[in-house]
Amino acid sequence: MSAFDQRRVPRVLTLLVALAVFATACTGDTTDTTTAGTEGPTETEAPGETSPPDETTTTGAAAGDIVNPGLYVHAADDEPLSVDPAQVAAGEAGETVITQVYERLVEIGPGGPDLIPSLSSEVPSVENGLISEDGLTYTFPIREGVVFHDGSELTADVVKYNWDRVLTMNLPEGNSSVLSDLVASTAVDGNNFVVTLNDRNAAFLNSVVTAAVASIASQEAIEANGGVQEGVVNEFMSSNMVGTGPYTLEAWNRGENIQLSIFGDYWGEPAALDARIDQVADADVRALGLQAGDYDSIETDPTFIGDLEGMEGVEVFSGDFLLEPVHMGMNMNIPEGALPPEDTIPVDFFHDVNVRRGFNLAFDYQAFVDGAMAGLGGPIPHYLPQGMLGFDESLPMFERDLAAAEAAFTEAGYWDEGFTMTVLAEEGGIFEIAGLVLADSMAELNPAFQIRVLAVVEAQFDSAHAEDPFQYAAWIKNADPFADPAALFAAYIHPDGEWGAVHGFRNAYADPDQIASLVDEAAVELDTDRRVEIYQELAGLLYEDPVWLIPGNERALMAHRSWVQNFAMNPLWPRPSIKFAYFDKG
Amino acid sequence: MQIRDYIIRRLMIFPLIIVGTSIIVFALSRVGGNPIAIYIEHEMSAEEVAELEERYGLNDPLPVQYLAWAGGVLTGDMGWSAVSAQPVTEALVDRIGATLELAVFAAILAIMMGIGLGTFGGARRDRLPDHVTRVVSISGASMPIFWFAILLLILFWVNLGWFSTGRSDPTIFASIAHPTGIYTLDALLAGNLTAFADAIHFLVLPALTLAFGATAIIARMMRSSLVEELNEDYVDAARAKGLPERLVLRRHARRNALIPTVTVIGLGFGFLLQGTVVVEIIYRWPGIGRWMADAVLRGDQATIMAYVLFTSILFLFVNLVVDVMYAYLDRRVVLGA
Repeated sequence: MSAFDQRRVPRVLTLLVALAVFATACTGDTTDTTTAGTEGPTETEAPGETSPPDETTTTGAAAGDIVNPGLYVHAADDEPLSVDPAQVAAGEAGETVITQVYERLVEIGPGGPDLIPSLSSEVPSVENGLISEDGLTYTFPIREGVVFHDGSELTADVVKYNWDRVLTMNLPEGNSSVLSDLVASTAVDGNNFVVTLNDRNAAFLNSVVTAAVASIASQEAIEANGGVQEGVVNEFMSSNMVGTGPYTLEAWNRGENIQLSIFGDYWGEPAALDARIDQVADADVRALGLQAGDYDSIETDPTFIGDLEGMEGVEVFSGDFLLEPVHMGMNMNIPEGALPPEDTIPVDFFHDVNVRRGFNLAFDYQAFVDGAMAGLGGPIPHYLPQGMLGFDESLPMFERDLAAAEAAFTEAGYWDEGFTMTVLAEEGGIFEIAGLVLADSMAELNPAFQIRVLAVVEAQFDSAHAEDPFQYAAWIKNADPFADPAALFAAYIHPDGEWGAVHGFRNAYADPDQIASLVDEAAVELDTDRRVEIYQELAGLLYEDPVWLIPGNERALMAHRSWVQNFAMNPLWPRPSIKFAYFDKG
Repeated sequence: MQIRDYIIRRLMIFPLIIVGTSIIVFALSRVGGNPIAIYIEHEMSAEEVAELEERYGLNDPLPVQYLAWAGGVLTGDMGWSAVSAQPVTEALVDRIGATLELAVFAAILAIMMGIGLGTFGGARRDRLPDHVTRVVSISGASMPIFWFAILLLILFWVNLGWFSTGRSDPTIFASIAHPTGIYTLDALLAGNLTAFADAIHFLVLPALTLAFGATAIIARMMRSSLVEELNEDYVDAARAKGLPERLVLRRHARRNALIPTVTVIGLGFGFLLQGTVVVEIIYRWPGIGRWMADAVLRGDQATIMAYVLFTSILFLFVNLVVDVMYAYLDRRVVLGA
């Protein structure tokens, strides 16, 4: 090396060290927080209680220095496709805004599953005479003195107009079927709104009346902007909102944020803070924004728990369980020649109960819950999520039992020959991880059991998922959020229900008519004790004869700044399961 | 060929290229999945899916679908953008300003820093400034944009609290009219310095992030070209005439070194447009890059088609400008030869 070169080396080294110091300075705090928060879930206060502000901090906003006083900022991971209740599907991002701006006849309270009056001044019941003895007619006395954001008045006629509007538009991308499946007719009697059902339905109030699709908008605003046409989207209502709720839609800066203002003429307790929903697609940026104090709450997932729990001035709410367990659908209706060429299974693979039980007994539930859900989850009986009517910890639940799994696959005749099967999952999240855990679990049970996880983007998954017949042997996603077991069992257990028909449950169940009869009976039974009895009987039957594999059920999870007062999250509320109007900052 | 004739000839070819591109993208969009995937939910029955397909004209033969789309484009109707819940044309207009503003500011930064650094290093070959230039170039070219962006956010947002994400303070943004959709320009037109400062404030980090990669490429090209030019005989002749080194560099060597650099700058603009996708996602910048990413992930074909059409046209014009500039800087280049 020449003398000149030797002189250059220290300079270059100095430069590299300086750059390294700069990079370390930038990342040092994150490294600390990543390793700090590995403890179990943090329980937060019940609604009404206040978290004391933390006075010490090393990174981000100091816990005592409230950023954006008077404004609640929530960072959402998605932007609505529409904010028209008639056009928004259950679980879509539009529900995030609809929940804040529109109201329904009755609402689910912040403390649990109990219903509270809203635009109806009373919650109908048989006892107060607002539900007929035969359980078919519901009367909602409409609250007096309620005005919409455009100044028009709420009447029973306006409520009927809204329900009829959803039924008339009947948009396939919306959620109108929850009304059309049940409602025989609607009528107005004085200032009462009267609904008559086709059949008795135990879930009508909890699952239908409280759903986003049953929200009430200003008739004057709708009529002035396109009115109602069968099968036609109302573009005004897709991006404008005129409700009765505690917030008005101030502005929708697409791709950036949605601004909500306190509605001064609100009939109930007014909101304390204006609100803003920021669209933040990247989960890391949401976490950084929370740390900086610019966001008061963020939508997150269990993989960020370690980072978030280590942050000063930040609390992680991990309350009740969500009502949308991760599940693997088993296809008993595979068309001949549809499976990928790599698959070696026959099309009637899942017809054999031993195969279905074998999968359920082989899956490593603990690894999935501890890993993908960061411990914030648990197993459930088929098909009763925790928090759902009928759930009981003593009900039979699948646990990993490799000996029993081996016996099941031996009985089915696959133990020696093995198999290869493709499972479809949405890429990059908990569903893909569930697939990978399944693949590992099966390979550990028997190396001849090969599971291929085909992870695709959301759009591809949804397209494939919507095909009937479904073209793969299995898929993994989460269930739709239903507030009552009647809807859940109709969709996921009934042999002729939504998935029963697609997956061919009649090819699987030992006695499909018995399952159908029990599900139907529970749906119309108004006696709660009897309903619980039926659902628990079903859980026992489904343990012996499962048609799903349920890796786990996740807890509701939200991270928020400690300065947020009265933070409450109810999984029974539509997405994101929080209502800004309850919150304050201080 | 006269530059004017060359430009006219190129402009005449543009429509053919655009139509060809749109046909290819349209065909690919039909091969690559359901064009209305964004509307499809697994709860839908086959009848409901068929109803949607009917609504969006998917039951017509492909050529008819293409002609319907192309006819719509000519009349300003490019369909409905599901990811932004508004007509595509409206969504495109809303977002173009944001992306152009970001790309142009990043381009200005990249050109200034790239040429500056390249000149700084090239004129001091194998000395410390040259090493600095090379380190910056290599790190800029090799560092993933999203990682660099996150580093900047950790430093300047979380730790120092100087900057934030997004495009503006919503209150200040709402206080002025937005005739052009370019916030800085609108602020100047409104004579509102607070809004202008707000626009610049929110531009700094995303523009810096976006510019970093392009800066590296420009600086490397500028440096190597300058080193080459400084070894040429005409530079020795200039020095021999007694011209100060500063003038030799500015009047002779740098001007000639700029010729190949201009080509790189043109290509770099394309690089910037691609980079906006990542930068807009990380910084919540409401531009067409993020719009496109949402559309791809959620299967919104009307939006994807509009984006491709727009960027194709933009690329055609950028390439034309680069070619013309190239001929302007180097008189030996004969356009259209």
